[in-house]
Amino acid sequence: MTSPIKSEPFVINIGPQHPSTHGVFRMKVTVDGEQVVDAEMVIGYLHRSMEKLAEERTYTQNIPFTDRTDYLSSMSNNLGYCLAVEKLAGIDVPERGQAIRVIMAELQRIASHFMALGAFTNDTGAWQTPVMWCLREREKVLDLFEMTSGARLTCNYMRIGGVAFDIPKDFEPATRKLIKTLPGFIDELEGLLSGNEIFLARTKNVAVIPPDLAVNASLAGPMLRGSGIAWDLRKADPYCGYEKYDFAIPIGYQGDSYDRFIVRVEELRQSVKIIEQALDGLPGGPHSTQVPLALRPPKGEAYARVEGPRGELGYYVVSDEGPSPYRFHIRPPSLINLSVLKEMTVGGSVADAIVALGSVDIVVGEIDR
Amino acid sequence: MEGVGVTIAFWVLAALTLIAAGGVMVSRNLLHAVLFLIVTFIGIAGFFVLLSAAFLAMAQIIIYVGAIAVLILFAILLTPRAGRGNSETKFALPATLLAISLAAVFLFVIHDTDWEVVQEDPSLAANQLGEALVGTWVVPFEIASVLLTAALVGAIMLVRTPEEEAEDALA
Amino acid sequence: MRVQFLATDNWYDLRDLSNLSSAILDGLDKIAPQGVVYVAAALIGFVAAFLIFVLPSQLFVGVLGERKLIGRIQSRYGPNRVGPYGVLQPIADALKLLTKESLTPVAADRLVMYMAPVLFVMPAVLMWAVIPFGPNMIFADIPVALVYFLAISSLPVLASFMAGWSHNNKYSLFGAMRIVAMAISYEIPLVLSLLGVVVLTETLSLQEMVFWQDRFDIWLFAVQPLAMIIYFIAVSAELNRTPTDIAEAESEIVAGYLTEYSGMKWGLFYGMDIGYALGAAAFGVTVFFGGWTLFGLEEWVPAWMIFVVKVWAFYFLFIWTRGTLPRLRIDQLMSFAWKYMLPLALFNLLIICTERILWTDAFDGDKPFIYLFAIANIIFAGLLILGWARLLGYRPERTQTRPRMVQEAGGYVPVAPARGEGR
Repeated sequence: MTSPIKSEPFVINIGPQHPSTHGVFRMKVTVDGEQVVDAEMVIGYLHRSMEKLAEERTYTQNIPFTDRTDYLSSMSNNLGYCLAVEKLAGIDVPERGQAIRVIMAELQRIASHFMALGAFTNDTGAWQTPVMWCLREREKVLDLFEMTSGARLTCNYMRIGGVAFDIPKDFEPATRKLIKTLPGFIDELEGLLSGNEIFLARTKNVAVIPPDLAVNASLAGPMLRGSGIAWDLRKADPYCGYEKYDFAIPIGYQGDSYDRFIVRVEELRQSVKIIEQALDGLPGGPHSTQVPLALRPPKGEAYARVEGPRGELGYYVVSDEGPSPYRFHIRPPSLINLSVLKEMTVGGSVADAIVALGSVDIVVGEIDR
Repeated sequence: MEGVGVTIAFWVLAALTLIAAGGVMVSRNLLHAVLFLIVTFIGIAGFFVLLSAAFLAMAQIIIYVGAIAVLILFAILLTPRAGRGNSETKFALPATLLAISLAAVFLFVIHDTDWEVVQEDPSLAANQLGEALVGTWVVPFEIASVLLTAALVGAIMLVRTPEEEAEDALA
Repeated sequence: MRVQFLATDNWYDLRDLSNLSSAILDGLDKIAPQGVVYVAAALIGFVAAFLIFVLPSQLFVGVLGERKLIGRIQSRYGPNRVGPYGVLQPIADALKLLTKESLTPVAADRLVMYMAPVLFVMPAVLMWAVIPFGPNMIFADIPVALVYFLAISSLPVLASFMAGWSHNNKYSLFGAMRIVAMAISYEIPLVLSLLGVVVLTETLSLQEMVFWQDRFDIWLFAVQPLAMIIYFIAVSAELNRTPTDIAEAESEIVAGYLTEYSGMKWGLFYGMDIGYALGAAAFGVTVFFGGWTLFGLEEWVPAWMIFVVKVWAFYFLFIWTRGTLPRLRIDQLMSFAWKYMLPLALFNLLIICTERILWTDAFDGDKPFIYLFAIANIIFAGLLILGWARLLGYRPERTQTRPRMVQEAGGYVPVAPARGEGR
């Protein structure tokens, strides 16, 4: 009829200083009118060359490095690294150490998911109310961490062969109190958001990842499970005695942001269940095996992976019989999960791109290392 | 309406309207011209109040300032080259002559007509207006609404992208 | 029309402040030349309505109360450092904004940029001229007060647009155009919902509406719940409050129309946002909640006190929705306005007109039938809201709020189609 109205695409920079709490991450979004045509991520603002620095330090000295890659889930990072080195050096961890590791990893999952859910709802525009509630609960978990390891965020708690200190006397009653009140709070959060029409309108059918794309792009964690693929390393490739505990894996329906949200909320519940079982069956005994100060594992390479809150967190350590690793590589789940950013955002509007980014749940520390 | 205040209001409003109208003509920037036009509309609404037609004054603001001015602003913004200033044009002199002659005609007509001066305060109430619209003048009212609907449908048809048209085409 | 309540004609009777103002004006009329009394009346009206009632409400309820309430909703204290319980916080805010540097971009249109906050303040102040604070305490009792309010509420839109355009910033312009589109879309349900009220009370004057509600001893909110809900949503959209605050939140990604404003210019926008919200609350209270009457209590308690407390209660609703609900996208907002609110407002008008004709012709305008209509309208409102939503495809039973749970790790688990529908 008439010639189509030409509108020139222009590039919006969702810049490194981000209003939402995702860290220094830059997304160049090309917009045509209202629709996103192209999305490109620019990373590297937080590169701290950890992998190179790790080659100068001994194996035990590298554990604080792993705290700081994914600073929101430091216990899981520590765990992955220690598992890799233990695999390399053939060290066994005593039962009590393994149980404590499981408790700490699940508590860390709870804390990290609270942060992720809060930041996600912040992106959809709920004026910080869910964030404040989630952070209030997260404070209780961080108090537990401080009680055991002395630090709230970068715990540096796992050691090669076990954990650094045994859990203190007050830990068990405090944890039991927490797991008694936590399911009530999760119900409250669900009541606020999961049925909320506006929240549904903002997140349903936004940033859909079909299952074959999820598998082909090697996504992991709630992104993979949100698309309906039942894959959880705690079940598929158990470590630290996870096969002893009874829990279920939540999976979503069609892979949109809402599915990832409800998967994360349900994982909170499952984590509470695992912690309860681990606390009930906490064995006695030593909490770690003695490991020489300057550990020299035999020549070889090892790859160990844990199910972190964001997905499969893998550590690849190569040893050449020296005190430091020859090569130390981290498989960052956030970076691999971000590889589908373009497929998620193209076709929607810019507001949807923000929601999509929030649902990936990135931590820039581990993207850039 | 009588009184000192009314006279002062009349002269102030007249000055405001005429200066704003002059601003519309004279300003180089198209958006400034629209803003002056909005001031003109508000001045005319003031005149309606002075003529005891308060409802018309409010309707003037709602319709002209709230809707038509916004429409003009949108049209200016969505047209790529409309922001360029009003440059000189060779029609300036003939247009001025035409305007002066039109003004002369109007002034003579206004001066020579035998205006009927209404003594009592007409005070048009809204319900009288409503009754007139759906009573005596119902046919023009309905025709106007049909015309507006046709314009609305036409505008939507004009901005469809070819994909949307292909979707609805008779297969 | 002077209404005799318990309030007397003495100038010191605080229950009817118009005694005080008429005493002052009569005194002035005797000693001053002819036209000065008009100016004095305007000044007294401004001082009384705006400076005494509105500005403190704005500062303490709007700025401080809102932040403390939203803080409490978020399980934290609001501001509580400045002064006891944070009472001096608005003053600290104002001082900070006054001393901030006012940056103006080089290529921006300076005149329009300076004029936009002024134009934004104007409607917020003008609006208070027609709001009745009591039986004789209304600054301008014009017979078309409702339409005056509608006219005034279309002016801030222009001011926001001027603000967005004058920054010479592509993103501000983008944001400003969206605001204007949203505001004019929501004006239509606003007008239609108020039309329903006008049909029933046969008047456009706000004071008359309050008297109607007093005469029939029922609040228009009960007679027309649907109109009240539509008014509330439409007016929050006009005010750019959450859940429709894409104006301020556009700055998530694209800078909104307030980017280049700093210092007191921004402070004026922010303050008058609250002032305009209070004005819309006052208007809503007058039309739907009985204004300054409270089923007879206004004969003992000063009417303006009742009115101010009711305005604060209505404003609390604004604060509550802001603290709780997430934000809608712009296209969702527009489709909500055109596809949902507009048909509902039209249905409401239809129902009200039918009831009005029934009432005057069949029931001769008797009082008890209004209560019957109120009950019928509440039922209609519920049915319409749910029914129209279902017609548009709202199926809450179909959304799964819990994920599926599996015990074994494996591959893709296909979604089983729900019974009765292919998916």
